[in-house]
Parts: sequence; C-alpha cells; structure tokens
Amino acid sequence: MKIRNNKNQFKSFNFIIIFVFIAFSINETLGVIFIIGAYIFFVVNQETFNKLYLSNYLKMTSKLEDDIPKDDLDILKILSKKVRLQKRKKYLHIALNSTLEEAGEIISQLPVSDRILIEAGTPLIKIYGTEAISRIKALAPIGSYIVADNKCTDLAAREVEMMASAGANASTCLGVAPIETIDSFIDECRKFNIDSIIDMINVENALLVLKKLKKLPDVVMLHRGVDETELSTEKQIPLYQIKQIKGSYDVLVAVAGGDTIKEAQRAIFNDADIVVVWKNFYQSSTETAELAKSFLKEIK
Amino acid sequence: MLKQQSKYLQIAFNSSLEEVRGMIAMLPASEKIIIEAGTPLIKRYGMNGITALKNWWEEKLKKPGYIVADLKCMDRGSREVEAAAEAGASAATCLGLAPIETINEFIKECEKAGIDSMIDMMNVKFPFEILQKLKKLPTVIVLHRGVDENEKNREKQIPLDQIHRIKGTYGKVLISTAGGETTRDVVKTFFNDSDIVVIWRSFYEAPGNTAKLAQDFLKLLK
Repeated sequence: MKIRNNKNQFKSFNFIIIFVFIAFSINETLGVIFIIGAYIFFVVNQETFNKLYLSNYLKMTSKLEDDIPKDDLDILKILSKKVRLQKRKKYLHIALNSTLEEAGEIISQLPVSDRILIEAGTPLIKIYGTEAISRIKALAPIGSYIVADNKCTDLAAREVEMMASAGANASTCLGVAPIETIDSFIDECRKFNIDSIIDMINVENALLVLKKLKKLPDVVMLHRGVDETELSTEKQIPLYQIKQIKGSYDVLVAVAGGDTIKEAQRAIFNDADIVVVWKNFYQSSTETAELAKSFLKEIK
Repeated sequence: MLKQQSKYLQIAFNSSLEEVRGMIAMLPASEKIIIEAGTPLIKRYGMNGITALKNWWEEKLKKPGYIVADLKCMDRGSREVEAAAEAGASAATCLGLAPIETINEFIKECEKAGIDSMIDMMNVKFPFEILQKLKKLPTVIVLHRGVDENEKNREKQIPLDQIHRIKGTYGKVLISTAGGETTRDVVKTFFNDSDIVVIWRSFYEAPGNTAKLAQDFLKLLK
C-alpha cells in the first residue's frame, strides 16, 4: 500500500529534526545554520515537504481504519452503499401513510427481497419530518430501498439534501411543479446519488413534461390522487401511456397498481417496472404479506 | 382569524429551528406579522416544527399569534390539515395545481378544523379557471412565484394585475402575494391591493437585520 511506503519518508523527517537538535547541542551557530539549510531545502523541494506532511495525515486516517474490526467493515460498506434501481427488474412499491407504529407492523410482516421498495408517504413526512425516513430505514431490513415521497414543488436543492441525508434511496418531485424546479431536482438527485422520481399526479400528458426537461429522471410515476379516485371513479390510470413513455425515453415507469394481485399483473403486463400499492396496506396489515408474497412468486 | 381591511406581512421561515428561534425573538411584537412554517421546515421537523414556532411567537406576542403551515397539499388533504390544526396552525396551504377534488376536500376540512384555507397558485397560469371550478371559495388566494423559477428565469413576473380582477369577481377572498423581496416589490404589491405580502429571502440572508427589516416593512403597511 502507498501509505506504508510513505512511512519511510516520515522517518527521514524525524531524522532531520534529531540531527538539528544534536547540531544545536554541539554549537548554537551550527544549529541555526542547519535550520536555515533545512528551511531552504524544504522551500525548494516543496513537493517533498507536502509528501512528508501528507504521510503524517494519511497515517492518522489509516490508523482510524485499523481500529475498526474487519467484520464491522463489511457492514459499514453495506450501510454506506446507496442501492439504486435496476432496469429489467420488476418492483413492488409499498407506500406507508398512516402512522409510524403501523409502518413498523407492516414492515415486520413483509418478506425480505430487493424487489420490495418501502415508501415514507407524504403525510408521514409532513407529520414526523425526516425522522419518518430514518425510523422506517431503521425498522426495515438492512439494505432496503427507501423512497421519500416528499412531493417537491420548490426549493428542490434543500429538500433533496434533507431526504438523502436522512437515508432515502429515492426522492419524488411533482410533475406539475415549475420546470426549473424539476430540472434542479434531477441535478441534485444525481449529486447525492439517489434515484429521482417524477410524480405525474394531475398531469394530463406526461410526455409533454418530459420533453421540456434538460435531463431525464430515473423513474416516471403515473399516479392518480386518492381524493380523485374516491370522489370520481370514472377517471382511470392511462396504462397505454406506459408504452408511449418507454418507447421514447429511457426511464423506468411506476404505476399505482390498485388493490389486488390481478391489477398488479395487469400493470406489469402493460410494461410497468414498478407497481405502487397503498390501499391494502393502509387499511390492514394482515393482507400485506400475502400480496407481497404472491407478487414475488408470480411476477418475476 | 384574518381581518378583511387590514394589511399583513407574512414571514416564511425555511431554515433550521435554532436559527428560527433567534429570528423570532428579534421580530417586533405586532399582530400584523404572520409567521409561516415553510415547506422545507415542515418536511424536516414535521408537526413539531409548527408547534415550536407557535410557542415562540406566542411568547413574543404575549398572546396566541397567527401561524401558517405551508403544507402545499397535493393529495389526501384531510389527514394533513387535521395534523396541522392539531399542531397549532391557524391556516394551511394547498396547491392550486392539485386535482379539483383535493382542493374541495381541503377547503371543507379546513372549515371543519376551524382554520383558514389558502390556495397557492404557484405555476398556475390562470387562477380564475381553478376558482370557477371550486364548490366553495378559500379564505386566501396566494399568488406565488417559486424560488427555483425566480433564480433561473428572471422574466417571469407575479401577475399583479390579477389581484384586482380576482377581488372584483370574488369580493370576499383575501389575496396574498409571494415572491417579491425588496421594499419596492412590497410597495408595489400593496399598491395593487394585495392583503398579505410574503417574504423570506431578505430575512434568510440577513438574520442579524431581522428586527430592522420587519420594522421597515411594518411602516410600509400603514
């Protein structure tokens, strides 16, 4: 390792200091001349000095790493690694919207799989703050993928930073937000190495929004609001739009998939990459595991 | 609750709670000042943030002050409104961009919870179109330019001419204007008949001058 090589140079630095001391004890003038000589030497060879100084610093940092037992290092690596979504995999996205207690109950019943995404819903974030995200991350199995549904509309830079530092693997931004906000949101997400999700709630044509963007988001979410669905049932998720979007842009598409495994299958059949469920999970946590298990079994 | 004939200054707080506490302590104790818990602050601290602002402002005013929770509701309004009212907010905001069903639900919920409803018309081209579709009118309409938009695109302007038109058609609603920052902007918006002016940047960038800034703005209100 490089650090080890620098150790020898560091020894020579100590050697020079000892030499100066000896010179001082023999004769004061000789000592002063030695110091001036050493000073001139370092000014001329500033690179060597930087190396010596750096080696000291590196030694300190490498020592820190030595203190941590080897087994813990692997866990640290897993914890610090940001999980990202992969193309060609089908995901089940579970939105948690009620309370943190219920969230814990649901999470404990879920099967462990990298194809299950857990979302801290907007109400949870607004009620508990970013603590909702870190608490859910702590409740979920290590390495789980956590989505922060912060529904950003403005001040994207600040929100993305908050969500990423709370431990989220993805953050959401509204498709109806100003284009400037969406652009800066996608930029910030790349900076923090998390996935960007654009939520197309109340957007008539998602393609029109995508066309205006400077860069593409990682995921486009086709979404129907809960209030809308409850109050006017005629409105439907436009499943045909999935193929349209995937045909023209290289993005993943998420769809709110309804309540049953049949509806989830229909969404996947229509080429969706991520199926979002929330209703079942919101009402009772007993059916949770069932749906998640049958999703993992039937949709590969 | 807000009075029809009075002018208000709304100060939005978006920074960390520690900073906000100091800034609130420096503000002059005036009922014409409305304290807003900004969206980033709510998303960071949750309902605790609103309660903290409420307590600090009450301490300063010596009586309950007016706190706006900038929820920017987009869906499931009822849940969020309930929580905000419980935390001590006197008003909550909903996006004009939200589905009409959500806005209607939101206004209904606000009435039920006994707080004022504000509709934020950020990125809405024609606020009239939305107002026409609503079952009931909100208490306040916020004409708004996003911060991100403002920074990257200087040409876009707050549609001040709309204030008169909205007030002419829907006499009872109050108009709040957000997005301007200098004293000149503030004068302009009040001149155009706005009831509330929302500012944040000048306070955010100069927390030390908070007291002086607020007093300057209050003088303008008269």
